[in-house]
Amino acid sequence: MNLATRKLTQFLITAVLCFSAARSFGQDTNARLQLANLDKLTEKAAHFTDVTLDGSLLQFAVNLIEKVDAEDRDVDQLKSIVKNLKGIYIKSFEFDEASQYSKGDIDAIRSQLTSPRWSKIVQSVEKRRNEYNEIYVLKNGDRVAGVVILVAEARELTVVNLVGDVPMDKVASLERHLAPGEKHSDKPKQKKESGHDQE
Amino acid sequence: MHFSEDDLREALKRKDPGEGFTQRTMARVNQAGTEGTKQPATKKANGKFLAWWMLRPAWAMAVVAVLLLAFGIGGYQYSEYRHAEEMRMARVKQQQLQQEAERARDQAIMALEIARAKMNHVLRHAQLQAEPNDKIRRERL
Repeated sequence: MNLATRKLTQFLITAVLCFSAARSFGQDTNARLQLANLDKLTEKAAHFTDVTLDGSLLQFAVNLIEKVDAEDRDVDQLKSIVKNLKGIYIKSFEFDEASQYSKGDIDAIRSQLTSPRWSKIVQSVEKRRNEYNEIYVLKNGDRVAGVVILVAEARELTVVNLVGDVPMDKVASLERHLAPGEKHSDKPKQKKESGHDQE
Repeated sequence: MHFSEDDLREALKRKDPGEGFTQRTMARVNQAGTEGTKQPATKKANGKFLAWWMLRPAWAMAVVAVLLLAFGIGGYQYSEYRHAEEMRMARVKQQQLQQEAERARDQAIMALEIARAKMNHVLRHAQLQAEPNDKIRRERL
């Protein structure tokens, strides 16, 4: 093998590695949904929760959670969940009256989940009560690269978007008393607050 | 060359200097006086100063030492002040970062709590839909 062939081989290997890295990075990035179209609903909502945690802030949070030296099973579980998360985005609205959001608002979310890499793993539709509940998963090989939980009910609209390797079983089995000073039921009365990006 | 007596008499006879001779003469005298005294005066001043240094070296060294000490203490205090200020700023920044991190942690925990609640909510609804008995389903919802 002469020098030129060796150089060419090295270049090709580097290019393939760069391409794979860029592809996997792109896949993680694609797991994030654009939820800006829901911002207009804050005016109509009686309660809304807006969480945007990513980048350095999420890393701070992860570092702090990992520093907790507790033998509590929940803390261990929490650590294992946040360890591989790259972003947490939540928009949740509760309305005093029904039909405050349109089908178009939901379709704008669903249209981002039409890619074949997204799989709808759970769907529950109750047309009489106008309830559409769905869970989508973005697969990256054998691993989960993102999760979207869409809860669209008559007086509630919630979109939970977790980006990164999300252990779904662990999320579902988290105990309820994790949130500091606040307990959430399955239908939580959330306080009107916004994420750090709106502060 | 021979000079006759008449020539000498003519050359040495009295002549009229003209009007204002006295004033012109006195003015020149005064001018010469001021020019002659100016430079020596400066030299005299420098000389005095140098003479002071030369005659009192101990005092001169003391003055230099005091000045050096004053500058040294001033510089040290300034550097201490700067260091304290930098430390204070770093502490404030650290506190801000800590608060920000704690806020982010609380948000992360709250977000996961919501995610858990919603995931279980969807799963329970899906599970209940699978149950055939509509009455039981309605009761559990």
